[in-house]
Amino acid sequence: MKAYDLIVIGGGPAGMAAAIAAKENGCENILILERGPMLGGILNQCIHNGFGLHTFHEELTGPEYAARYAEKIYNQRIDYWLNTTVIHMDREKRVTVVNANEGLQILQAKAIILAMGCRERPRGALNIPGSRPAGIFSAGTAQRIINIDGYMVGHSVVILGSGDIGLIMARRMILDGAKVRVVAELLPYSSGLKRNIVQCLDDFTIPLKFRYTAIKIHGDKRLTGVTLARMDEMNKPIPGTEEFYECDTLLLSVGLVPENELSNDAGITLDPRTCGPVVNDSFETDAEGIFVCGNALHVHDLVDYVSQEAETAGKNAARFIQGMAIREKGKKVTLCGSDGVRYTVPQFLNSNRMDEKLTIRFRVGDVYHNAFVSVYFNDQRVLHRKKPILTPGEMEMIELRKDQVNRFTDLESITVKIEKE
Amino acid sequence: MYDAIIIGAGISGASLAFELAKYKLHIAVIEKGSDVCAGTSRGNSATVHSGHDAAYGTNKAIYNVLGNAMFDTLCSDLKVPFFRNGTIIFAINDADMEEVRRLKHNADLNRVPGVEVLDREGLLKIENYFGPEVIGGLYAPTGGMVCPYSLVIALCEQAYRNHVDFFLNSKVERIQKTKSGFFVTTPKKNFETKFVFNCAGTHADEINNLVSSNKITITPRKGEHIILDKKLSPYVRTTISQTPLNLPGGGHTKGMGIMPSVDKTIILGCGAHDVTDKDDTATTSIGLEEITSYFEKNWRHLPISEKIPKFPRNMIINAFGGLRPHATTDDFIIGESEDVKGFFNMAGIESPGLTAAPAIAQKIVQEAADKYHIEKNDFFVSIRDYEKPFREMDEDERRQAVMNNKEYGEIVCRCELVTKADIIAAIHAPLGASTVNAVKMRTRAGMGRCQGGFCSPVVAKILAEELGIDLTEVTQSGEGSNIFFPKTESLSQRNSE
Repeated sequence: MKAYDLIVIGGGPAGMAAAIAAKENGCENILILERGPMLGGILNQCIHNGFGLHTFHEELTGPEYAARYAEKIYNQRIDYWLNTTVIHMDREKRVTVVNANEGLQILQAKAIILAMGCRERPRGALNIPGSRPAGIFSAGTAQRIINIDGYMVGHSVVILGSGDIGLIMARRMILDGAKVRVVAELLPYSSGLKRNIVQCLDDFTIPLKFRYTAIKIHGDKRLTGVTLARMDEMNKPIPGTEEFYECDTLLLSVGLVPENELSNDAGITLDPRTCGPVVNDSFETDAEGIFVCGNALHVHDLVDYVSQEAETAGKNAARFIQGMAIREKGKKVTLCGSDGVRYTVPQFLNSNRMDEKLTIRFRVGDVYHNAFVSVYFNDQRVLHRKKPILTPGEMEMIELRKDQVNRFTDLESITVKIEKE
Repeated sequence: MYDAIIIGAGISGASLAFELAKYKLHIAVIEKGSDVCAGTSRGNSATVHSGHDAAYGTNKAIYNVLGNAMFDTLCSDLKVPFFRNGTIIFAINDADMEEVRRLKHNADLNRVPGVEVLDREGLLKIENYFGPEVIGGLYAPTGGMVCPYSLVIALCEQAYRNHVDFFLNSKVERIQKTKSGFFVTTPKKNFETKFVFNCAGTHADEINNLVSSNKITITPRKGEHIILDKKLSPYVRTTISQTPLNLPGGGHTKGMGIMPSVDKTIILGCGAHDVTDKDDTATTSIGLEEITSYFEKNWRHLPISEKIPKFPRNMIINAFGGLRPHATTDDFIIGESEDVKGFFNMAGIESPGLTAAPAIAQKIVQEAADKYHIEKNDFFVSIRDYEKPFREMDEDERRQAVMNNKEYGEIVCRCELVTKADIIAAIHAPLGASTVNAVKMRTRAGMGRCQGGFCSPVVAKILAEELGIDLTEVTQSGEGSNIFFPKTESLSQRNSE
């Protein structure tokens, strides 16, 4: 059995940043396992710009952003296997992999970083009634076909859901000669970034209809149209609001789900809100020595945050391997969101072990104007910060200092809330 | 010149092709779809019914029970996934129990083996939990689950290996009686044959009425199903439904049921609604709502509710619709037409048709062979050569497989663990896959949680490579269902507008 200090599952932005950070923190024997034919993951199909503003202070395309990290991987001689699928993982940190050259192998690691990314929610999960013709794609699948495979997916498009990939694909389809009839969003707001709505829809006068969704799919062989309708408060179609849109393509951008089949294999506890593992401030799951970062942990809006988070996971994995991680001592403090905060990551921290600063990331469940983000230590409010706008599409962050946490005796839980005043 | 033409390659046509191939006959199957199993046989509850509820004395009752008994050998010969998980029909009040006793009486008349009326204690010996209102029920141990499209594909493949010809994308336009038999017209090719076997599913009335003056009518009756994630499979073992009293669709169905598919997903369904379009397998908001609201309301009775207390709407991974070819006579129409010699019907094969079809086919073929003195084919091979797919192999077999063929090392569909080698094998198998959906039915690539999001473009590419066609020519389900377009085309289109 081949043995490694650290195995990183996934060679996208999270996996690469984590591996580099682990190496920089003294971990030598690292292997990245990547399913695709090159490092970079989904960034390779994101040929639009806007990546790296926080990390590199310039606007890069997805492949450019990926290339900066890939170069470090090459320069630091971090080992990676491409075209390799992990088919099983257990709590003892044994990883079963398959690829054409090495065949089927079981690898042993001292620590594992999970960086599998996420998948798109498919049509089936929406349960849209109607037939099953060709021409229905999840937005990311269409993006891959157009940007990597070099084919078009259709000529006349309806987009369901206003997630970022859907917005990006609206513009992409127009630039490749298609007509984009409409973007329909079930919610009363977009789950995508504001800048994407402006640059991808408004600039091309593509209508965005809120509270609308598809109620019927038409067509036998290839899609011929979609019926949209306005939804009431119970998410039932309002009679009389039905509109038929003729189209040959329907793109779905209706949410991303962290990929955690392997986490399930290892019996790792998942958070039903994030669909990613429950983690502590080291990004360690409840399986000792198995860390997680990136979209496998929770779905991010910006890749820059993925890289930041992954660096922390990589550093902590290196510490764990070197036996430097403080394990038993210190108190376990629960972190959670309530009153409009859907979730927090991490879900708990170790008050003794934690770094000098801890970034808590969270998302809100609705749009808030001029509301306050508050942090409670037990029942006591310790932070109260006004925000002009909070939306579900944009990830929010707050920082806690270690001394702040340690000063507070009997700290059991930290709660993040949205408050009107 | 053929001896026998079979119209339709669903479970009926496939079973007949398999049975007829046991005789010295030159046989062709004509199918209008782009693949076998393109209609009724694809969208159903995958249930091998015990036969407890088919009305005594009907063809449905007779062939259901006979068919059920054939499944062990048939599925083992053909390497089709099948298991007997038993069926429970539970009761929550005295009227239900009365119905349970009536079903038991009917089951006894039909000679269904092992059927019992159980009280609550008895039910709890089979499943660990039932909701507190459940007072008893019927238990039919011979009820089972099969993969319907694997069965149809396997039957057709084996017929093909035994020299039955298949013509896909061939819709029958005309049938004329001739001196020596029949002349069958399709857009691409015409066929002369001695015998015609009508297995045209929802269109079987049209085919029959082309030649026979004994007109029949088939009404398409829609049933819709919802599929739940595999994660729930540990909690669903026996097929469970409520007595059909007071259910949506009442007498038309065996009731709303929950059952474990052979692929470990959970199937919920189904209702019954007569429709007019014979090819309309679309799901409807009413139909899907009927299922979800039924299970939301009655989830608490089911054994699964012990661990999963509420109907898990977020575990829905897909839904599908199917059509039952319902004959107005309310029974299977089987055998030689009274007024047209050599023309055989296997029509109105609605539920429990999937279970009954192998037995009906056997009966029809036996009668034809006796009447027309057809000789047995001594070279018939009933056992299917089958290469185990990667996902069914154990670790050592997988290691060996990749060593022998590197393409086993390329995982294409990771949700269902389908490799490039599996896909290539499905394409080059007898009656091989030529569309993305055909690959999906044969390998499960694209049937998992992501529903083909990652793998369908890769599957399409492999199809293009293996079939020597351009990616733009690859279809989802036959002519007109193309998936990819050349980029330059859209550009030139824009310029011309």
